[in-house]
Amino acid sequence: MTSPLEAKSLSLVREGNAVLDGVSFTVARGEIFALLGGNGAGKSSTLLTFLGFLKPSGGEVLVNGQSVTGDVAAARGAIAYLPEAASLYGHMTAYENLDYFLDLAGKPAGRADLDAALDRVALPAEARTRRLRSYSKGMRQKTAIALALLRETPILLLDEPTSGLDPVAIDEFHDLVKALAGGGQTVLMVTHDVYGACQVADRVGLLRGGKLVGSFSAANGERIDTETVHAAFAERQAA
Amino acid sequence: MSSVRRIAREEWRLWLRSKVVVAAALIVAVLIAVTSILTANRIANEQAQRVEQQVAAEQTFFAQPDRHPHRMVHYGHYAFRPPPPLAVFEPGVDAVTGQSIFLEGHRQNTAMFADTKAAADLGGFAALTPASLYQLFLPLLLIVLGHALFLRERESGTLAVILAQGLPGTKLALGKAAALLAVIAMFMLPLIAVAAYSVTLGERMLAAFSLVGGYFVYLCAWGAIVLAASVLLTQRAVSLGVLIFVWLFAALIVPRFAINASSAAVDAPGKIESDLIMLAEQRKLGDGHNAADPAFMQLQAEVLEQYDVETIEELPINWRGVVAAYSEAELTDLLNSYAEERMRLEASQSRIFGLFGLLSPTIAVSSASRAIAGTDLATHHRFLRESEALRFGFVQALNEKHAAELDYAIDMNRNADEAARLRARVNASAWQVLDEFRFAPDGADERLGRAGGSLGILLAWLLAAGGIVLVAARRVRL
Repeated sequence: MTSPLEAKSLSLVREGNAVLDGVSFTVARGEIFALLGGNGAGKSSTLLTFLGFLKPSGGEVLVNGQSVTGDVAAARGAIAYLPEAASLYGHMTAYENLDYFLDLAGKPAGRADLDAALDRVALPAEARTRRLRSYSKGMRQKTAIALALLRETPILLLDEPTSGLDPVAIDEFHDLVKALAGGGQTVLMVTHDVYGACQVADRVGLLRGGKLVGSFSAANGERIDTETVHAAFAERQAA
Repeated sequence: MSSVRRIAREEWRLWLRSKVVVAAALIVAVLIAVTSILTANRIANEQAQRVEQQVAAEQTFFAQPDRHPHRMVHYGHYAFRPPPPLAVFEPGVDAVTGQSIFLEGHRQNTAMFADTKAAADLGGFAALTPASLYQLFLPLLLIVLGHALFLRERESGTLAVILAQGLPGTKLALGKAAALLAVIAMFMLPLIAVAAYSVTLGERMLAAFSLVGGYFVYLCAWGAIVLAASVLLTQRAVSLGVLIFVWLFAALIVPRFAINASSAAVDAPGKIESDLIMLAEQRKLGDGHNAADPAFMQLQAEVLEQYDVETIEELPINWRGVVAAYSEAELTDLLNSYAEERMRLEASQSRIFGLFGLLSPTIAVSSASRAIAGTDLATHHRFLRESEALRFGFVQALNEKHAAELDYAIDMNRNADEAARLRARVNASAWQVLDEFRFAPDGADERLGRAGGSLGILLAWLLAAGGIVLVAARRVRL
């Protein structure tokens, strides 16, 4: 069966520097795969190659079995992407932002659908008609997550999704991601939050210097052991 | 709603929520409105005034009493060039070429400038015309509005979100272009109003709306240049700096350089300089006031032979009138040859200047604008030729009256006493030889033909800049 996401010997060179070097992995349907790594490990670059924003220097990335380079539009149509900075428009309200981006995606939604998504991310109702420039980082992040939800795509790419969220919101977000995966959505998230990754992911990959240097899976329905991953992470970082 | 329209609408929402942008647009809009009203008023007044002055000059000429016909040759007449209807938008060369000429015998005078009725005009503020605003200020407004169209998305990270929605970069660029296009369309409204007003003043619809079309293409070309910079460059400040430099280069530096370069390439002496050069040759032609000038000996022999008489006193016509007509014709040939050469050189300079439109769309639009409005150098040259034909026509007609209606002996004795002076006159009805002169712009087709090259250059600018935007947008990266 074709994996929704697959990286085959993915290499990426930017401005003469090797950002990714022979990275290979697959993410199965309904699976949550977290890529852990320090700054500059190549986590975000990996996500951007799946979106076609960066062109692999070697190897290839496949979305639903199709090369992204061959059909970028098909790849982007299948993916909802949550960028690290929750980049939305400060001069628009949450409703206006969602309405706008969904229109561009060709998936317009009514106010009820927007409210349902914003309810799921727990964005206060009174804030929804305020411009985003008055939002906290967490509130912006919630709006961006709502956008990803509303896209209803089979694949979610999350770049440091819990950055800026308070602990309660992080737990809620993790529950949400698990629910989405439970519904069949495939999730690839990149983070440097070891604890969060282990809490939510079915599989964790360790990325260092552009190489995938370790992989941990949950067994028997249990979560991945945070301490094991943390130790490996620290060891690899120190190496 | 299509994504292109949606992007354009959101861009407008951003602009409308930005006080700086709204203020800049309002300032330019007010400036255009005020300048259009003032210029339209000024030109309409000037047009009415010059037509009135032309009629008054004719009436004054016709109203002269019985006189010696040669006194009427020197009494002279005036030719006025009324501004064409589209001068309400584009006064063109009017301010530097002069608009009226004093016509008299033996001279081709330099065109004069209308007297100013308001001291404030002396400050040069009248130089701010709707055309100059469209040529210089609107591109600046487009730069202010559009320099960050793409870059803002890139810098704020929303470009990634937009592209991740599956929207191609070209559609995003088209949406941004549509937003700028709407701004351009909005600022075309005052020009459309002025063009419509010019039609009520007698302008042809084809010319009026070709002018609108030319400026639309010009502003679209600037919009494409602005968008291209926003797509290609990576920092907002750099984009603004580069575009301001491009504006300075296109709107100020190239035109200045083009003027100097065309003058250097074609050395055209001015009217005064060529008059001085011509003086020596003029002297060889003889003095038309002196019928005994040796320069007219051959003419005398021919005329005596023609009438089969021995002396000029025996001629059935006034020899002095014959000499005056002959001399005027010879002199006019000389004057015309210099005038034509000067105009040919000026036209060459103008053509070279127009070619600099390849480096600056501002030059291309200004050349097209003047040609379509009928306020270009070619129109002024036609005015000079037509007023010269008028001058030559009435001067020669008076010389013929001199030859045919005034007895030679009476003419020769005109200074003997007051009675002799009164006898040396012809009836005032002879002044009706003056033709009515009403200078009108060329037909719309002819003006458009002259503007064709510049309009083509403008279109090339638009296609080139638009092509760059589409290619760059297709390859857009974060």
